[in-house]
Amino acid sequence: MSWWKLLSVLLLTYVIIAGFTVPLKPGIALVSPQTTPSNSILQLSIEGYNTHFESGKQSLEAWLKLDSIHGVRANKIIVKNDNLMEATFAIGTIENQFTDATLYVNNDIDNTAFLPSAIRITKSGNTSNYTKQLIPYERLSSKAGFLFPYREILNETIRNTFFHVALWMSMFALLVVGLYHGCQYLRTKNILYDSKASSYNMIAIVYGLLGLATGSIWAKYTWGTWWTTDIKLNMAAISMLIYVAYAILRASVDDIDKRARLSALYALFAFAAMIPLLFVLPRMGNVISLHPGNGGNPALGGEDMDNTLRMVFYPAVIGLFLFGMWIATIRTRIETLFYKKSQLE
Amino acid sequence: MKKVYLFLMTVIIPQLLAAQASDDFLRSTGKIYSVVVVLVIMFLGLVFYVWRLDKKVKQMEDERTD
Repeated sequence: MSWWKLLSVLLLTYVIIAGFTVPLKPGIALVSPQTTPSNSILQLSIEGYNTHFESGKQSLEAWLKLDSIHGVRANKIIVKNDNLMEATFAIGTIENQFTDATLYVNNDIDNTAFLPSAIRITKSGNTSNYTKQLIPYERLSSKAGFLFPYREILNETIRNTFFHVALWMSMFALLVVGLYHGCQYLRTKNILYDSKASSYNMIAIVYGLLGLATGSIWAKYTWGTWWTTDIKLNMAAISMLIYVAYAILRASVDDIDKRARLSALYALFAFAAMIPLLFVLPRMGNVISLHPGNGGNPALGGEDMDNTLRMVFYPAVIGLFLFGMWIATIRTRIETLFYKKSQLE
Repeated sequence: MKKVYLFLMTVIIPQLLAAQASDDFLRSTGKIYSVVVVLVIMFLGLVFYVWRLDKKVKQMEDERTD
């Protein structure tokens, strides 16, 4: 039975189609200026993404959040096009030295698009009688429907969750299967288990190297550099180097039984070394990482993941795992044939 | 040597791909094209691995006919 091979193809097809066609929620891409003194009139130019400023002009309103319940509403809005508008705020006195105000833009079509810490309001010596109002939270809500969340900086690359992140997750699952077969080899000394263990580990290594390469591409176009000294990046690179040494070790031993024993033991060590590198160190309290998905799981974590992403992400992990399993079984069959042939000679 | 090739492929192909298109293009429309590049790299990487398996099978076939 090979229903799971078909399933992997179906899942990956779904992932590619849904992963690329589901639109992002409306968001705020850019505002300018980025600082303003208190007790002054602020003219803020706002650049939206997937927004409908023009079509939803009738109900368009903009708010700057000053504290947890109060904000100031834009008293004049000039719409340039669907993704560009200019809002005028009369900002009154603030209590602290400065406030990083969140911007909300609301209309009937987009619901609420927002930008956290959009503008820094600093305390000034000016005086004015501008007042703040209660923010109408009951009217603010994110757009409903099957849409991926908009995150500043990430933008469309949030879709890499289904490719880059899923590669790492399925790599780990494949390594667990490889480890299981490695232990079975050490227990039974049956060479079939060595073929299985090495096949799962090899495809996992390919996934890991692809994970590094895809991450590097993402970093280039979001951070502006191929590589940086971020803990998640460096620890992933180290664990991949440990596993690449596994491949080199296997290639350099000719005796079949010796190779099987050595590589099974080495894989055990490599797996044990990978756990702290990938799962423990990035979660340490004093570690600062720019990599998305902070807080909780290094990859799945907190605010960067939501339920619409999960509906594509989990199929992606399962699909890539089953696809890796398919390739691993093919390699296992080749290795087994090689072994049988060497026994005949 | 094959491992070296594999490593070079995964490291150099992204750079070559990126060199083909300008940075501005890859950063346009919310950086969607960088996601396309990611998908292309994944595809090429997997194809490369399958190609290597293919060579292994071929090696066995050739030995058999000897």
